[in-house]
Amino acid sequence: MTWWCLILIGLAVSACGHGAPEVVPYTSVDQVVSEPIFRDFERQTGVAAHAVFDTEETKSTGVLNRLLAEARSPQADVFWSGDPVRPFILIGRGLVEPYVSPNAAGIPKPFKATDGTWTGFAARARILLVNTTRVAAADRPASIRDLASPRWKGQAAMANPLFGTTTIHMAALFTTWGEEPARTFLGDVKANDVRIASSNGEVKRLVASGEVAFGLTDTDDAAEAVKNGAAVAVVYPDQDALGTLVLPTAVVLIKGGPHPENGRRLIDALLAPATERQLAESAAHMPLRPGLTAGADVRGLDQVRAMQVDYASVASAVERIQPFLREWVGL
Amino acid sequence: MGRALTSRTQQLLLVGLAALVLLGTGFLPLVLAALELPLAGAQGLTHARAALTAPATWALLVRSLALATSVTGLALALGVPLAALLAKTDVGGRQAAFLVHAFPMFLPPFLLALGWFHLLGRRGIFGTETTSQLLFSFAGVVLVLALAFTPVVTSLVALALRGIDPSFEEAARIVAGPRRVVTRILLPLAWPAAALAALIVFALAFSELGVPMFLRVRAYPAAVFARLGGVEYAPGEAFGLVVPLLGVALGLLGFERSLAARRSFPVLGLRQRATIPLPLGAWRGPAGGVVWVLAALSVLPVAGLTLKASAGGFAGVPAWIGASLNNSVVSAGGAATIIAALGLVVGHGLARGRAGSRLLDAAAVLAFVTPPAVLGVGLISLWNRPVTHVVYGSLAIIVIGDVARYAVVGVRTMAAAVAQGPVEHEQAAAVGGAGFGRRLFRIVVPLHRFGLAGAWLLALVFCLRDLETAVLFYPPGREPLPVRIFTLEANGPESVVAALAVVQVALTAIIVAAGAALLRRAQRA
Amino acid sequence: MTPVISLEDVWLTLGATPVLSGLSLALEPGEVLALLGPSGAGKTTVVRLILGFVAPQRGCVRLNGAVASADGRVLRLPEERNLAVVLQDLALWPHLTVAGNLAFGLEARGKPRAVREARIADMTRRVGLAGKEDRRPAQLSGGERQRVAIARALVLDPQAVLFDEPLTNLDVSLRRELLALVRALLKERGVPALYVTHEPREAVYLGDRIAVMGDGRVVQTGTVDALRANPVNEFVGRLLDDLDWSGAAKT
Repeated sequence: MTWWCLILIGLAVSACGHGAPEVVPYTSVDQVVSEPIFRDFERQTGVAAHAVFDTEETKSTGVLNRLLAEARSPQADVFWSGDPVRPFILIGRGLVEPYVSPNAAGIPKPFKATDGTWTGFAARARILLVNTTRVAAADRPASIRDLASPRWKGQAAMANPLFGTTTIHMAALFTTWGEEPARTFLGDVKANDVRIASSNGEVKRLVASGEVAFGLTDTDDAAEAVKNGAAVAVVYPDQDALGTLVLPTAVVLIKGGPHPENGRRLIDALLAPATERQLAESAAHMPLRPGLTAGADVRGLDQVRAMQVDYASVASAVERIQPFLREWVGL
Repeated sequence: MGRALTSRTQQLLLVGLAALVLLGTGFLPLVLAALELPLAGAQGLTHARAALTAPATWALLVRSLALATSVTGLALALGVPLAALLAKTDVGGRQAAFLVHAFPMFLPPFLLALGWFHLLGRRGIFGTETTSQLLFSFAGVVLVLALAFTPVVTSLVALALRGIDPSFEEAARIVAGPRRVVTRILLPLAWPAAALAALIVFALAFSELGVPMFLRVRAYPAAVFARLGGVEYAPGEAFGLVVPLLGVALGLLGFERSLAARRSFPVLGLRQRATIPLPLGAWRGPAGGVVWVLAALSVLPVAGLTLKASAGGFAGVPAWIGASLNNSVVSAGGAATIIAALGLVVGHGLARGRAGSRLLDAAAVLAFVTPPAVLGVGLISLWNRPVTHVVYGSLAIIVIGDVARYAVVGVRTMAAAVAQGPVEHEQAAAVGGAGFGRRLFRIVVPLHRFGLAGAWLLALVFCLRDLETAVLFYPPGREPLPVRIFTLEANGPESVVAALAVVQVALTAIIVAAGAALLRRAQRA
Repeated sequence: MTPVISLEDVWLTLGATPVLSGLSLALEPGEVLALLGPSGAGKTTVVRLILGFVAPQRGCVRLNGAVASADGRVLRLPEERNLAVVLQDLALWPHLTVAGNLAFGLEARGKPRAVREARIADMTRRVGLAGKEDRRPAQLSGGERQRVAIARALVLDPQAVLFDEPLTNLDVSLRRELLALVRALLKERGVPALYVTHEPREAVYLGDRIAVMGDGRVVQTGTVDALRANPVNEFVGRLLDDLDWSGAAKT
């Protein structure tokens, strides 16, 4: 019995790792994408990164929950959000420490805060994924309004607008078009029998299998479908006028975190051009800096007409339209 | 120097310490979680009222209750006859069939769902569109969970059947055939075990987070988990949603108390007395077929995981496993030790009818049947302060969470073990002058060492398979293996995730084998 | 006449211990045979052998001439032997009422309800438990429980009844009362019975003949007088020593 205890104590001590430099990032970016980045950081700087990741269903609300629940005594140093809107909730509650990283200089203005509260990089775009077997090249939908077009009745899919990037997309429509036109549009979408999938990954699956003709999803899901050899094509909607919604990932420095200095170092590493390039190659994220794409499948910001949005307004719109969306979906 | 502590002081210290740990880990956070609602202020109450009056909230709750009820019903329907066949008849290969059938109950059910996905999902080995749609549905969740939890019913009922005084059975066998003996005499005598198993299955199925989330079925606890912040973090709303969960938990506790009150006929024993198996005659073949089909169904998802993992997954394990295996073993081992110690003191008190033990036992049951989301909220509320960072930021918080949730396992196991033993040994020691502490450590512990070891192993298994408790507040970079598999599953390399799942299976198998060996030694002793 | 039960040269070893070594006995129709022997002599094993829960390694068990168990095999299952038993710990089913306990075997034999109810009513009256049919065993006294056990055995109209030291846990006056009841019932119905005990007084009181057991076999069988007149060894003689010559128990 005694040697059992000794073994356990020994293991426990080994699990502690006192004194070694460390940093604690919370992230809602897919673990498969973010963890290797943290490992690289560990290797290059010798600072151990102990991360908390999100789970599928609660995409970017699970980790946010914890940040808010732990507000009294923050455990995180850095929050790397999968979208630019969630950080505003933290900013709004005074949980963010402004930090202007030297590496933020190359990021275009719309995708960062001038006071350094948040900085965007490595983005995803909201695109239409089209099944090429069901839809001829000439007939492909070209606009988000095609979701409400009678020609595509019952043949389209989108993810649940209460979660993830879809909710941000809806909010962006509300801020850009105005309250009434957006509500009308969504009403038309509902009347058009658009299939509501549980996630963007599910939309990708529906399109790839041909169950629907096209669907609204993210560029990284689309890239995966292409990589798996599905008969699909990517359409960047509304390139003529409205523009495609670009959602950068964003980093914020958490106020009162346990290791602020290492937090800044991590943010610098994340914002470095090399990271953007790596995310473009490994995870099909769009680089915001010009000239960084190497692969054929990933477009850079310089190749896409982006929707003009103020992410702060979108963030407040997201909170505002929740009741409407909940009713729209029917929980 | 100074006099040795009197017996009464020893008792006060030991029992008091146990009570402090038990209530501090499990009950206090629940109280805090319940208090958050009134403390949330007027705005919080508005959010809470909005959440509680929305019909959608109640629809989702009803759905979760329906899910748990269906799982319990199916588990009983499968488990009770199976227990009778395995424990009492001469069905072929029944020992092996029991082991195969029971093993998956020690795994996180989410892993089994993952295994079924690799078998029946659209790209699965036997997958078609139809099987995939069946899997990713309410029925699919019910079937997966029922198969995962049926062994709980089978084990408890089989244990009770084996523990029935053989004379009852023999008196019946003189006048009636096997079927009547089982259905009219043996199973009725074992009903408390079936009721307890039903309670456990219901509580586990209702709190289950991983399987509904993976199979994309909306369930109440998962919704609370997702809504604990929501896009608009509304504190009142979250705790408002927690209120019905507390109601369910109290309901389950009430049911359990009524069970415990009816001191029923034979005692669940760790010692088993063998009777001659009832002969099935011509039915032996078909019964064997049924038994083995059920056993195979139980273990099929593990095969699915292994097959998927063998496609290059194991090579990726060292890169992706991190420290999660270490975290699992250390936190579960620590928690199991504390639970065993708690079980010794409180379980012994429960068996011997010591004042206050029933209250402590009730508190432990409450912590078990309460959905972990509530416990998690309370634990964060209690421990997430600058002054307690050394606890909250380390594996200690996982240990606390596990002790809170699974203390009841230690208490009940030790209570059952001690109740089997005669009280005269302790009384003789007391007459001879031994104080409470000496009696406990020099008489009770050696006499019931197998029970204690069993309690430790059983607690270890529960802590190792835990997902719902730890996922809410695991310390950064210190997640246990099931949590890691869960977070990686979302978009990780499939074969590596399957390989990690196989690691969990292997770890569990080692513990279970140790437990089985211990049981054999105990029976021979 | 064919014995109702006969054991012929039965050998049985449990584990490493030889329990029965060439035991033979026969229960004739209509008689009460007392099997007398000290504790641990193997008497309970004899009962289990006759019931069919264990088979003799050598030798055979016959019921009404037909072989029921022999040479390691049980040829007729316990529920097919039409026997009844009153066990030492009674084994009354705790979840069934008195009536339920009595009805169980009758139901298993497929007796129609009218027959069952009549027999149960008759039996409960006869053992003095009329009016208590709806009580559970836990609600009865020790003596009442004994009566239920006896009633349960006899209500089936078995071809023989076995008693395995049923009265050991009772005080003297209760024991006497129940012994008298048992003897009266057995004589009334003419049911042959094997009464296993370690109390010589009980054996003498109930048994038409006594079989004395020792060393794993039956040492001597006969009426009380025959045994007393010609005890085959000192053991038998001493066993029957503290009884007076009228066969009544000394106080």
